[in-house]
Amino acid sequence: MKSKRSLIFIFLLAVGLLLANSIEPDTSNYKVLTNDLPNEMTSEQAFHKMMDVLTHERCVNCHPKDNIPKQGDDSHPHYFGMQRGDGNLGYEATKCTTCHQTENNPYSGVPGAPEWSLAPSQMFWEGLSRFQIAASMMDPERNGGRTPEETLHHLTEHALVLWAWTPGVDAEGNPRELPPVPLDEYRAAVEKWFEEGHIIPTE
Amino acid sequence: MKISFTINGTQQTVEVVDGNTPLLWVVRDVLDLKGTKFGCGKAACGACTLHVDGEAVRSCSYAVKFAEGKTITTIEGLGTKENPHPVQQAWIDEVVPQCGYCQPGFMMATAALLDKNPNPTDEDIDNNIINVCRCGTYYRMRKAIHKAAELHALQEDSEIQNS
Amino acid sequence: MAEKKKISRRKFLVRGGLGTAGVLAVGAYVFRNPIRRGILEMANTMEMAYMGETKNPMVWFEILKDNTVLLHSPKVEMGQGSFTSFAQMAADELEIPMAMLKVVHAATSTGNIDGMSTGGSTSVPGLWQPLRELAATMREMIRTEAATKLGVTTDAIAMGGGVVSANDKSMTYAEVAEGVTEWPDIETPVLKPVSEYKFVGKPIPRIDLEDKVYGAPLFGMDAEMEDMVYGAVVRPEKIGAKFLNADTQQAESMPGVIKVVKEDDFVGVVAATYQQAENAKNAIIVTWEAPNNLQQEDLEKIMTVGNGKTTIIQKEGGALDDDDSEIMEFRSPIGAHAQIEPNGVLASVEGDMATVKISTQVVGITRKEVAERLGFEEEKVNVIPTYLGGGFGRRLHTPHAVQAAVLSKAVGKPVKYFFSRKEEFQHDMFRPPTHHVMKGKLNTSGSLEGLEHHFVSGDVGNNSALVPSFAPTILGADVGAIRGGFIQYTGVPNYRSVYWHVQLPFATSWWRSLGLLANTFAIESFIDHMAHKADKNAAEFRLENIANDPLSVRLKATISAAVEKANYTETIVNGRAMGLAASIDAATPCAQVAEVSIENNQIKVHKVTVALDPGLAVNPDQVKAQCEGCVIMGISASLHEEMYVENGELRPIIYGPYDMALMKHSPKEIDVVLLQGKDTPGAVGEPPLGPIGAAVANAIFRLTGQRLTKLPLKLS
Repeated sequence: MKSKRSLIFIFLLAVGLLLANSIEPDTSNYKVLTNDLPNEMTSEQAFHKMMDVLTHERCVNCHPKDNIPKQGDDSHPHYFGMQRGDGNLGYEATKCTTCHQTENNPYSGVPGAPEWSLAPSQMFWEGLSRFQIAASMMDPERNGGRTPEETLHHLTEHALVLWAWTPGVDAEGNPRELPPVPLDEYRAAVEKWFEEGHIIPTE
Repeated sequence: MKISFTINGTQQTVEVVDGNTPLLWVVRDVLDLKGTKFGCGKAACGACTLHVDGEAVRSCSYAVKFAEGKTITTIEGLGTKENPHPVQQAWIDEVVPQCGYCQPGFMMATAALLDKNPNPTDEDIDNNIINVCRCGTYYRMRKAIHKAAELHALQEDSEIQNS
Repeated sequence: MAEKKKISRRKFLVRGGLGTAGVLAVGAYVFRNPIRRGILEMANTMEMAYMGETKNPMVWFEILKDNTVLLHSPKVEMGQGSFTSFAQMAADELEIPMAMLKVVHAATSTGNIDGMSTGGSTSVPGLWQPLRELAATMREMIRTEAATKLGVTTDAIAMGGGVVSANDKSMTYAEVAEGVTEWPDIETPVLKPVSEYKFVGKPIPRIDLEDKVYGAPLFGMDAEMEDMVYGAVVRPEKIGAKFLNADTQQAESMPGVIKVVKEDDFVGVVAATYQQAENAKNAIIVTWEAPNNLQQEDLEKIMTVGNGKTTIIQKEGGALDDDDSEIMEFRSPIGAHAQIEPNGVLASVEGDMATVKISTQVVGITRKEVAERLGFEEEKVNVIPTYLGGGFGRRLHTPHAVQAAVLSKAVGKPVKYFFSRKEEFQHDMFRPPTHHVMKGKLNTSGSLEGLEHHFVSGDVGNNSALVPSFAPTILGADVGAIRGGFIQYTGVPNYRSVYWHVQLPFATSWWRSLGLLANTFAIESFIDHMAHKADKNAAEFRLENIANDPLSVRLKATISAAVEKANYTETIVNGRAMGLAASIDAATPCAQVAEVSIENNQIKVHKVTVALDPGLAVNPDQVKAQCEGCVIMGISASLHEEMYVENGELRPIIYGPYDMALMKHSPKEIDVVLLQGKDTPGAVGEPPLGPIGAAVANAIFRLTGQRLTKLPLKLS
């Protein structure tokens, strides 16, 4: 009975994806998912689903360990030597916003979102394991003094974070890779993990 | 859609079909200000640099809809032969340009830098001035940037004395 | 009484009686190998002459009512500063102040254009004699006419400041020219000695300086015509792809589209705005025939000494035996021009007339190709050159002018068309990759007994409209690829240079200094290696092995001057080492010393000392600017830039991934010493590009013991 239900779910999901595909080509990057219905997830499953996203380059590129933003699906150092600068906004006259506006630019392929900037240096994720990233993100010393509620809000509502699901096209007009989990599933997983007490599983 | 802004001191309203059209093309083709250059269209070379509300912006990657209500300055509005901006005067004193195509973008980026940092170090210059010049005028540009900082300081001194 | 010559309107025509000359003109007489070799050596070292036609009564000078003298330049200004030098040369002979003289590009319908090109560092040397003679002739024509108007003999006329005077009366040149319909045709006068010139030899500011600082619309990209619309042409991503057909249905109904134009060899679109034309272009689905899926490994395999056709371009004494020789291999990558103004054109075809405004280095060839495609007489096509936003050889090939003309004809409006940056990178006419095998042998006293350069390149001059198609057959080698490929150490008893030519599947062509950059890198790195083997100072070792003919003596003088000015030492001081290299290009010797350190595992060039002997420097400040520019462009090409082939495509397609030197990579000190080893101007715009790659590599060897043999230089 249970396996039949999940088969139907997969079917519906597949149809949904096909339909979605015809409207929004970006979703073609998603894989057909397994039977992880959000309400059946354990906290640990939710954690891993959330971290599948947070360890993706769409997130980590802007949480560097060395003051150098990373770019692209291969996470190369930002071209032209751009760095963190003052206030994580670039250099004094040549800033993030010299090129990056509040929306993606479809002609230049330059990505954009509100508050385009680097995460502060204490929030570096680059090179950390998913467990270390989670620990860092829940540590007020390293997360900008955020309460768990504020962290939850950042992860699920902040426009710059949500940009990861509408990352636009690159300089050649090709769509950027999306995080490996659709936004609604990611949100459900994050909420679940916080609801369950944001316990970081042991490695 | 209609978009209104001030450019080089003049109020302008333009009508565009696509609000995402890069500001560069509106400036060059609609307003006929050809000093702002197209180099790559990808915000990589900096030839299209102009100022929006006093900040350096690469206009090939700036949707014209964002310009609503803003104040824009291009190389034509930076200074004139009669009243050159210190950056332009320094560029002339040091005979910087060769082919000249990238130079307006560099001068606009430099003017923005001096506005934030009136006395930039070599490191500040290296960090902020990251446009591309193919003729290789960087050596003279660096000298001109330092010179512009001196001229800028002199200008401010005389303004203080005059006021 | 001088013969009178009828002229039209107020145009001031000047006739010259000067012949044309050039290296390829003599090629046709040469078939036997030893002589052929002589021709190729000459091609490497001779100064190119002006190839334009000075016999036809075309407009060189015009006098305007406000007493401005316009010089219609047959050469284009692409940053090299030759307009300023021309103005200095002309103003001195015309006896006018610099401010009175303006230089404009000659258009094909009104002026005298160079039928070949602007390139090869030939503009100032080539026009040095004819332009001054024309200016002096014009001055004397004005004197003669003024004498008639003032009723005095020509001896009584004084000239200066753009004014003629006799007794108490004076007239401006414009007043003299006013109403004249026939001018006397006089003999070319004797030129002034250089010592009497007020402008020649002085560091006059560039005449285009203010326009360039205040953003004047000088460039091809800035050209406009009334009712102008925008064109775009679909170009393939794959190397060698051939256009088969196109599905244009979607594009035809897109906003702003005026017409989709299908031709046998291309498909293009015309729209109201640039962005609309680009959008429609991107919606056209083209079927291409892509013949290959070339990869970088394949390319390096092809590009190896021993492949292709070979020519011995220089030979003295016997060949070295590989078993007892030092052998070292070098490589250079594909280089892009990457000039900031993309290739573009504005073309208007109206009835049987066409007007083309364009950044081009080949005004005459652009006209010929447009005329041929439209089926027009060449006289019906007026090509109006603009200032170039960088040339570097990129604009010696202008098929886009033909395409824009076809688009314009199809819509009956002027069409502006320019490349996207991706198209610019993928459809460049690249600097070909090269491979070099250097061989050398020392005798028992540590002097060179033999030195050989074996190298392979793709097309540079071959398959270019600038080089007659018979030239490769007659000359054997590619006249561009061999630039800088000759052994300059002709004091060595046995030396030779052997060229191999490989036909690449993508277009390669002229890139500033042609083969010089890569060839000098190989030869001058290897010489340094041999000096080290011989345990000798690298400067002294070079001087020992250079012969004593006049050009070699000038080369030695530049090496000595660079060494002295830089305080060249082979000791590491404060973590910095020096590297020396030297080259001769187009008869201009150049030596450079680079001062280098390694910071965060990156090569840092702090200072470059340049000694250049360009002969007479018409404008020493601009000669220095060319040296600085060549050093920085050379650092960019030698330490940063690299195109590669991947799955049949040339990549990368944008600045950034195509890594170029920025402000932070430029040396903070560039010290230029100018020598004058002869009393006429020589080539300037390319020769200083030769030594820099090897100079930096030689410094790195001192610092690390690593001999870097591949451009771009990367520390392991």
